Amino acid sequence: MSLEKMQFELIVNGKNYIFYSTPDRTLLEVLREELNMLGTKKGCDDANCGVCTVIMDGMAVKSCTILIPQANGRNITTIEGLEGPNGLHPLQQSFIDNFAVQCGFCTPGMILTAKAILDENPNATEEEIREGLHGNICRCTGYESIVRAIEAVRDGEYKDLEV
Amino acid sequence: MRFEKYFQPTSIEECVSLLKEYGTDAKMLAGGTDLVPRLKNKVIRPKAVIGLFSIPNIDKIALTEAGIMIGSMVQLRHLQKAEELGDRYVVIKEAAGHVSSMQVRNIATIGGNACNASPSADAVQGLMVMDAVCKIDGVNGKRDVAIANFFIGPGKTVLENGEILTGFFIPAPKPRTGTAYEKFAIRGDTDISIVGAGCSLTLCEDGTVTDARISLASVAPKPIRATEAENFLIGKKITETIAREAGKLAASNCKPISDQRASKEYRVEMVKVWVKNAILEAKVRI
Amino acid sequence: MNSYIGKGAKRIDAFDKVTGKGLYASDYPNQFPRLAHIKALQSPYAHAKILKLNTSKAENLEGVLGIITGNEPGVDWDQYPKVAVLAVERTIWAGQIVALVCAETEEIAEEALELIEVEYEQLPHVLNYKEAIDPNPVSVVDPDYEKRPVGFTDRPGDRATNRVSPNIVGAFKMNAGDVDKALAEADVIVEGEFWTGRKTASPLETPNAICRYDNDGGITLWSNGAGVHGVIKQSICRILKMKQSQVRIIQPYMGGSFGSRLTPYVELLTVLMCLKVKRTVRFQYTRQQTFTMGPSNWPCYTKVKIGAKKDGTIVGNDYYLCEEIGACLNNSFFSGRLSSSGALPVYGWGGNLRMDTYAVATNAVPAAEYRGLGCPEAEFGIEILMNELAEKLNMSPVELRMKNILNDGENNCQGDLITSIGVKKCLQAVADEIKIDEPSVQDMGVWKKGKGLAIGGKQNTPLGRSEAVVKYNSDGTIELLISCDENGMGATTAMTQIVANEFQCSMEDIKTTKGDTAITPYDNYSASSRTTYNTGNAVIAACKECIDKLKEEVARRYGIHTSKVEIVGKKAILKGSYVQEVDIPSLFVPVSMFTQGNWGLQVGSPVVGHGIYCPAPIIQWDEKGLSPRVWNWWQYSAAAVEIAVNEETGQIKVLKVVSSADTGNPINPELIKGQIEGGVCMSLGFHINEEQIYNRDGMMANANFSDYRLPTILDMPVKDNMKACINPDPLPDGPYGAKGMAESITIPTGPAIAEAIYRAVGVRVDGYPMNAERILKLIKEKKEKEA
Repeated sequence: MSLEKMQFELIVNGKNYIFYSTPDRTLLEVLREELNMLGTKKGCDDANCGVCTVIMDGMAVKSCTILIPQANGRNITTIEGLEGPNGLHPLQQSFIDNFAVQCGFCTPGMILTAKAILDENPNATEEEIREGLHGNICRCTGYESIVRAIEAVRDGEYKDLEV
Repeated sequence: MRFEKYFQPTSIEECVSLLKEYGTDAKMLAGGTDLVPRLKNKVIRPKAVIGLFSIPNIDKIALTEAGIMIGSMVQLRHLQKAEELGDRYVVIKEAAGHVSSMQVRNIATIGGNACNASPSADAVQGLMVMDAVCKIDGVNGKRDVAIANFFIGPGKTVLENGEILTGFFIPAPKPRTGTAYEKFAIRGDTDISIVGAGCSLTLCEDGTVTDARISLASVAPKPIRATEAENFLIGKKITETIAREAGKLAASNCKPISDQRASKEYRVEMVKVWVKNAILEAKVRI
Repeated sequence: MNSYIGKGAKRIDAFDKVTGKGLYASDYPNQFPRLAHIKALQSPYAHAKILKLNTSKAENLEGVLGIITGNEPGVDWDQYPKVAVLAVERTIWAGQIVALVCAETEEIAEEALELIEVEYEQLPHVLNYKEAIDPNPVSVVDPDYEKRPVGFTDRPGDRATNRVSPNIVGAFKMNAGDVDKALAEADVIVEGEFWTGRKTASPLETPNAICRYDNDGGITLWSNGAGVHGVIKQSICRILKMKQSQVRIIQPYMGGSFGSRLTPYVELLTVLMCLKVKRTVRFQYTRQQTFTMGPSNWPCYTKVKIGAKKDGTIVGNDYYLCEEIGACLNNSFFSGRLSSSGALPVYGWGGNLRMDTYAVATNAVPAAEYRGLGCPEAEFGIEILMNELAEKLNMSPVELRMKNILNDGENNCQGDLITSIGVKKCLQAVADEIKIDEPSVQDMGVWKKGKGLAIGGKQNTPLGRSEAVVKYNSDGTIELLISCDENGMGATTAMTQIVANEFQCSMEDIKTTKGDTAITPYDNYSASSRTTYNTGNAVIAACKECIDKLKEEVARRYGIHTSKVEIVGKKAILKGSYVQEVDIPSLFVPVSMFTQGNWGLQVGSPVVGHGIYCPAPIIQWDEKGLSPRVWNWWQYSAAAVEIAVNEETGQIKVLKVVSSADTGNPINPELIKGQIEGGVCMSLGFHINEEQIYNRDGMMANANFSDYRLPTILDMPVKDNMKACINPDPLPDGPYGAKGMAESITIPTGPAIAEAIYRAVGVRVDGYPMNAERILKLIKEKKEKEA
């Protein structure tokens, strides 16, 4: 008795992907193993650490606890999709400039969550930024440089990088 | 293989017939934030998983004169930010907003939070203090169950095989009603609560309490009401002392357990503190 | 002349990490089409006899390639790191591996685990200091301790002889001066007993390795372990008896370490299985396994008694410490000496310090390194008592400490010469910033505020050899090859800055390759904050050799002495020649069949410099435990905090932290600021909330990120209230005077918080984590006493 494969479609970073998979895999597993997009990481596999965060239809979600049928047909943005034709996304550049990256394992999830926060609330206060990042763990930076990096983007320091 | 069959019914009828066929061998997939980790850890091994996202009309919020209807598939974050709920239903938004993190609230649903029936569930506490009515559909036809009677024990609700929770009806609160939900957890919302206390107070014009609801999370096998404390408040005016007294009453009537999050002694102490705080906050919001 | 030292140069690996392009070991499976997977069956009991273990059904499952149990022939588990030791007749901690299965897919491997038949007979267990140290404990973790041959890292002074309990498996004693006499003559005594909880480093990438089976019977391994040469390769060759030429270890980007990767557990087990099934295999720990199958820190129980004169001069310290090392069989590493070194770096103790230290085994997961190496545990009690002493003597906590801190050029009680100690500056800086003399304003209702400060220091162990290779290409660009670990702290960036500074070239012209034993030269590992010092000095040596060679080539070409040549990037500046400036790339000639130029500087062939650095060795201590040189140098930190304690719930809110590090001369202040902020956060976590909690069977009940309470962004103060400062005292033998610092940060925040709690609600803690339940209990006990 085995679970039948079904056809699924994901629109990842603007590109359509059609593939066959059993429906019991998570979005994280499909992104990494099926689509070879390794930027989204697995940390706790339990929806606690946030390193698996991607943006689905404009919402930040933890891909390790989303089954692929839930994501079927939806728009997904992963870290690979943030760079524009003119270079890095403002958040990416700001994370570099503000030393908000150390081991880097939380970084893709952190940047995408930050993007979701600022997309929804471009004038997010420090308190709102911290509240939004409550579900993202970082072991290295102590979070302060991450807040500084996000606020620099919020305050318009990277206007020329914006698409 | 985490399960053997996957279905995505496009109507309640189709869903109900699947539920009837598979009985306890089926699990429903809403937001998945409770189901998927258990599937991955093999804590549960259902034969069938039924995705609910193609069923129409169970993911809406509708305002009426008599109250509001919240579909069971409404996401917690949507609920948290729903402006149409306004101040009168603030505790619904507040309780939903205390669940885990922003990412989880983006896809977790109010129906899932209820049907998962964890004693620590936060979102259902808003429903508890507002006397929500659970709307059930299934092989027994449509039926209503008061939220206070919906839960049986950890992971267990009154839903029978072949039944699905389609939404909640929350009756409009009476005038001069204030509500609040206080979640007490060590690190904040991403922790499972050590104690959760919800409160609804209705006052008459001179400030005397005419109606009260106090509900508790994480101190019993299911969400419970602290009826003795509620009755104590009736006919009284809310002061710090009265609130403290009510807290003590609520604490003396619950028997929490010790686990890796807290000891039972600490939980009892926290019931005293947070019931008091919930009462005082509810009063401020009238 | 540009200086790249002291500059906040951008990290060389940041681009890879913000784009998701950088590959970690856990990203490599996609490159291997026929990858086999390893899964582990773990014991659920802290102590149990294995009555029956039958793997035959599992072995017969289609797709299973091999199974390893504790009875695997040819395996000497005594040689393995303790946490990688499979259970033989008993399991000695909950989570210990009972069997390893290798199969074609993860799913088949998991199915095979369920087909393994195991029967246990539960035995009593000991999980903490009090239970284990009993003279008649209910569980003896290593009954064969006396009979075992001495392990290869054993030191004669660390073997336990006075074993008050059969669980004591290591001991160290040091006796400087005459402590009894000093304390008898003291005007004031402060004393206390202190405990600490068990914590797990929890870097975000779980331990994992891929081992490729090469056709010559050798292997290539990618993992996130530390020390490609010194740790992983050497252990594999020694333990699995492989030829060094057949073993290649590669370290891709690593998702954090904090010391937890310094023992090669997942790597050894992966290679063991790879050699058995002769296939490329992969093993990744789940998060739960990182807690129960991967090492924890070692908690310490301390008893401290400090004596002082009325004027604040401290006259002596009587110090007892016991490390809880978990289920280590054949322990030859722990004796209490490492942790108790925390009593040495800061204060002189009037020359009178007695250290009586032990290591005790328990039925918990075996311990291994964690940032701070026992010093946060060892110094917690000392700093609490220093604050208590200040109060008793009616002195400021700053003044009391300033009076007793060692100075440059003095010797500590063990005998080490202190050559760089900036802690007085650190202390003054944090005291001024927090305004320690002004008590907190109580304006937060049920939250009562308080301030506290503390200091701390940690040794750097002289941990052997680092090498570096620098290649100056014919186009003037440079390649640096090093094997130090890049755990995330920015070591590779700092090393690149050193090269940029030595050659006076831009960092864009330097490419740094690290962590591949076939390409990069030997280095031990990143431990004890040694990388900046050790590898940094090796890099400077390599640069100097390369520069000397270039100078020689230029000098010969222009007929002048090498001392008149200066290398500045792609140019050589000549003094006194008819040519003032030379373009170095132009000196490299293309290949030609018609000239003899092929023997000199040739296009495509770099000029290479190789540098080696080793710190001076330890001088074995005498029968009193004294020696003129045990530790290499010391890093220091001071912390001041303002916190609020909720009188109703016992919760602590950290409102403001000032943390200062004495880093020698900082190479990259931005990287150091990152270490300070990260170190403070990590320290807040394990001092306030994190601890391993066990169920009745001795299994960790919170082996997940829900209930093991790591600090989130909301646990840190807002950015304006987190102040990181650098107060350096150059280290004479550090590269440009630099030294490491990232461990010292974690030491003083805890005792600072303890003091702040006392100022806020009048209770004194005697251990950590100082979680809400414990604080509330103390508050209630105090209220009852006063009633």
